[in-house]
Amino acid sequence: MMRVKYVIGLAFAGLIFLCGEAFAHGTGYRHSALKAVALEFMYSTGEAMSYREARVFSPNDDKFAWQSGRTDERGRFAFVPNAAGMWRVIVRDEEGHQCEASILISGEGLEVSGGEAESSIPNGMELFIRALLGVSVIFNIAMIIRRKNAH
Amino acid sequence: MHISEGILSGGTLIAGWAGSVAGISYGLKHTDPEKIVRTAFTSSVFFLASLVNVRIGPSSTHLTLLAPMGIILGDAVFPAVFVALLLQAVLFHFGGLVVLGANTFAMAFPALMTHVIFGRAICESSGKFRTMTLSFMAGTFTVMAGACIAGTFLGMTDKNFLGAVKLLLIAHVPLAVIEGVVTAFLVIWLKRVMPESLQ
Repeated sequence: MMRVKYVIGLAFAGLIFLCGEAFAHGTGYRHSALKAVALEFMYSTGEAMSYREARVFSPNDDKFAWQSGRTDERGRFAFVPNAAGMWRVIVRDEEGHQCEASILISGEGLEVSGGEAESSIPNGMELFIRALLGVSVIFNIAMIIRRKNAH
Repeated sequence: MHISEGILSGGTLIAGWAGSVAGISYGLKHTDPEKIVRTAFTSSVFFLASLVNVRIGPSSTHLTLLAPMGIILGDAVFPAVFVALLLQAVLFHFGGLVVLGANTFAMAFPALMTHVIFGRAICESSGKFRTMTLSFMAGTFTVMAGACIAGTFLGMTDKNFLGAVKLLLIAHVPLAVIEGVVTAFLVIWLKRVMPESLQ
């Protein structure tokens, strides 16, 4: 009788031990030597796109996001690509603004080898020239319409 | 206030283009040929106003000047806004070409409504305080109506319709107040220096 009790007791203890192994996953961390692609997103006013929804699309799947998250306070977002090809990162807010970055990752070492290094928001002299060009186009259109009406 | 490319659904984009094409056609038919230079000038001001940043606390936005545009141009506001937005999309990458129809409608329609509702009252008002009050109301109304239409476009795409409209309306309150103040002073200045521009 004592032997049976011992066997039942051992079996119960073993069961608890096994359940403990099954449910209680431990956690840990280690420094990663992988190179991340870090991007900064901003509005045309220069203001950072802080805490905005960010989605990363891998070269293999254009429809479902490979990774999603949010930018930080300074509009920064980073990811670690796992394949070569063109990666897309889309950051958007709830007010209808969206910014898309295309990053080309090379096969060797999975490093950035191309794509748009920065978005094409003009500034400085280029902005001034474009503004002048725009005003010129508007007045030229007006003059064409005016001449047509005069004839 | 520009909606970016790739956000709106196909149906919403078509609705935006339909509204804009109707507005542009109406505007081109009813624009006085004598006022074409004035239209070009106002369109240029709107085109350039987007480059003026206004800081509101920790964030910043840019002016639209849609209310003065609506008051001055009336029927011609749709073609003027369309050309300016087209150039902003091409030269500054604001908004986009596919979403141009929706952006034109969201900005030009409120400006046209401002002309219909406030235009005559502002032109005929005599007292400085009354003119400034009406102009302030016009400036505020235009921005909030624009935000409402942009929110409706976003809501037509997103399932959270009321959430999108509410969020855009709240976000545009500071800009609406600023535009109201700018419109008030601009109209007073125009009444003194170029009264014919408001007729």
